[in-house]
Amino acid sequence: MKEAAAHEQFIRSFFHEYDCPILSDENGRLVIQLTDKMDEALMNRPFYWHYIKKMGRQGDPMSLTLITNPDLSEEKGEYIHSGSPRLRQLYRFLQDNCRFTKLYEAVTITDQQSPLVPWLVTNLRISYFGKQKKDELLSIGLNLIHGTMAPSFMERIENYPLETTISDFTFPMTPLIRIPSGYQRIVSYIHRHIESQDRTWASQAMEALHEEKQLLSAFFKEENEEERKLLEQELEALKGRFTPKVTVDVINGGLFYFTQATTNQIII
Amino acid sequence: MEILLDEKYGEQLAKEAANPDAISSWNQFKLTYQAAKSSSVPDFEGLVALSHLPHIDFLPHQKEAAEEIIHQMQGRAILADEVGLGKTIEAGLVLKEYLIRGMVNKVLILTPASLVNQWVTELHEKFHIQAYAPRKNPAWKDADIMVTSIDMAKRDPHYSEILSIPYDLIIIDEAHKLKNPATKNYQFVKALQKKYCLLLTATPIQNRITDIFNLVSILKPGYLGDLSSFKKEYGKKMGNLDGNVHLKKLISKVMIRNRRQDTGLADTKRMVKTEWIEFSEEEQQVYEKLETIKGTHPSFTYLTLAKELCSSREACYLSSKQMYDKLGDPENTGPLHDLISGVEQLPHHAKAKRMVEIIEQSDEKFIVFTEYRASQYYLQWYLQQHGISSVPFRGGFKRSKKDWMKQLFRDHAQVMIATEAAGEGINLQFCRNMINYDLPWNPMRLEQRIGRIHRFGQEKNVQIYNFAIKNTIEEHILNLLYDKISLFENAIGELDHILEDLDIKDLGHEIEAIYSESSSYGEAKIKLNNLASVISSHSETERRSSS
Repeated sequence: MKEAAAHEQFIRSFFHEYDCPILSDENGRLVIQLTDKMDEALMNRPFYWHYIKKMGRQGDPMSLTLITNPDLSEEKGEYIHSGSPRLRQLYRFLQDNCRFTKLYEAVTITDQQSPLVPWLVTNLRISYFGKQKKDELLSIGLNLIHGTMAPSFMERIENYPLETTISDFTFPMTPLIRIPSGYQRIVSYIHRHIESQDRTWASQAMEALHEEKQLLSAFFKEENEEERKLLEQELEALKGRFTPKVTVDVINGGLFYFTQATTNQIII
Repeated sequence: MEILLDEKYGEQLAKEAANPDAISSWNQFKLTYQAAKSSSVPDFEGLVALSHLPHIDFLPHQKEAAEEIIHQMQGRAILADEVGLGKTIEAGLVLKEYLIRGMVNKVLILTPASLVNQWVTELHEKFHIQAYAPRKNPAWKDADIMVTSIDMAKRDPHYSEILSIPYDLIIIDEAHKLKNPATKNYQFVKALQKKYCLLLTATPIQNRITDIFNLVSILKPGYLGDLSSFKKEYGKKMGNLDGNVHLKKLISKVMIRNRRQDTGLADTKRMVKTEWIEFSEEEQQVYEKLETIKGTHPSFTYLTLAKELCSSREACYLSSKQMYDKLGDPENTGPLHDLISGVEQLPHHAKAKRMVEIIEQSDEKFIVFTEYRASQYYLQWYLQQHGISSVPFRGGFKRSKKDWMKQLFRDHAQVMIATEAAGEGINLQFCRNMINYDLPWNPMRLEQRIGRIHRFGQEKNVQIYNFAIKNTIEEHILNLLYDKISLFENAIGELDHILEDLDIKDLGHEIEAIYSESSSYGEAKIKLNNLASVISSHSETERRSSS
């Protein structure tokens, strides 16, 4: 139930954010009117939009019926649950479209000019592949004036009001650390972080790989071409399954400007 | 250790920060982070899929199996649960877990053609996994999850295309059909590119111990050595895992085998009730008339007609008429002619009346099994006369018609009348009442029938009615065979193998032959007792060897 409520909330915010009116919303069943732009992005009908545009006509965007209440999952509409195709599509849409930002803290009128401190924020997903896989999310903020770094940054700033335009009577300070070199500092931090993690999972995977390789070589005699090919293929599969590796993906990031007061608060 | 990291992001960000079109709002930025969070799996251990599938009550052994396959066996395993314990559910759970963890994208599921639709439906309804059953020109490369038959997959042009795809997971249902490495099917499966692989079978060893060697070699080549050394070491003990602790231990690392008695499935009981029915006077007379043909016709003819008369006038009439036409009897005075004219006069059948009485007392669904197609027609008509809706079911129906009939039965009709249970047929857990209108010679067939409704997913106790008419051949069958039914029950899954060792091709035929070749009821009884004790001692050894 908790999960359903979370999905529902997510869907509401998502479509609200992309200016799609919610036509009805009751008991875990939402009907959403798409805009032209979102229809194009989500409904997978490129030819329709191609012709509409070619003819210079007004398109007729579709509406979506999304159901989060498991009791209604048999009803007409798309049942939304963890891993459902629509939800994954929305996630992917965000991932593709919201990789970058530049935001300013919204400041209510002050009588004097106040400077805003630049921060580089990156949210990353670290995936550890051993015999199994696990993910770790890191959100790191780097003060671009004096280089202070703070972990769990999103959790620290999530309740501050931020805008894409700068408030009156505020001005951004010019970073002393350039963004690319700031990012390099974060990269080094990530490397250190990964090095400092428990490595048992990796050595277990190596052991397993070693064992499986030995089994394999006992089996194949490499007498003919066919056998050699199969052996090759099996070895590849083994490596694919067991070679430990770590991938780091940037979820999103941006340049954030906070007042000096906020800067002091968030690094406490 | 390899660390793959996006080195260029800093420069991209520096560039895009100056581009207003690339800038997302604070809420969009937060939503993206939230989306990444909910699609991440923070632990190596456990089954995340369970919380994604709150509508399914997995049985403990199913959760354990999926967890063991993923975490101990690294995704390559033989899933050899006994019939009806939910192998498909376990495989679906493993698949779901891998999908959620993002460890698997490309999946190929190979099943017998008759099960393709069932797999697609089950994955969709239970697991919300969208799988495709290819039709004419399948796009093997485009669809992520495909369900198809080996027969289709191994045909060109599919063959070469499938072999060129690196699959993350391959699931093979009814994998015991792959025991022979000389077959095209086996070589095809062996050549598939796969990261993870599940082999599903209820009978991992069918005939000989090399069966298991061949299955394991698909999963883990080399694990049991090569074939010649394996044969040298274990091959002499045909079909017997007993005595070899080492081999058993090895195999337990790649195979999961749950048994009915170890699982929660025993919770729903089967209540078996024998319904003794008496022929009406007219029927009894005709039955006695039938005795007279014993002298003039082979005993097999008598047996057939007697069994048919116990089922319906129609069944008996049809074959006695056929025999009559074939033999020719110009005087119209022979016993067959007598019989036919007697049958023609008969009123409704005593068993059919009893069946309607039972069904009318309940508003639950019933499945009725008969041995004869003529009886099936008759019963359907007879039920209709009493305002009871029914659908027919036969092994010979096409797949789509079977699905359709099953759906009609589930949603509309009260009764399904079936002539054939057939092992890989249909699952009818939504029905809990069964009438065995005729009893088959082969008690295993009865077990398969019951297995249609008494299986994983059945939530209520199962009620079985076995019909038998007093003072007829049915009374004999029942007394001879069905008091020993528990014996056959235990042997399910192993019986094929036992019978093969005993060189019995069809248990039903064997029993029928014993009966017709015996000159007295007592003689038949002794012979059958002998057969039963052979089977029971055999299945004892089997059980010990594979548990």
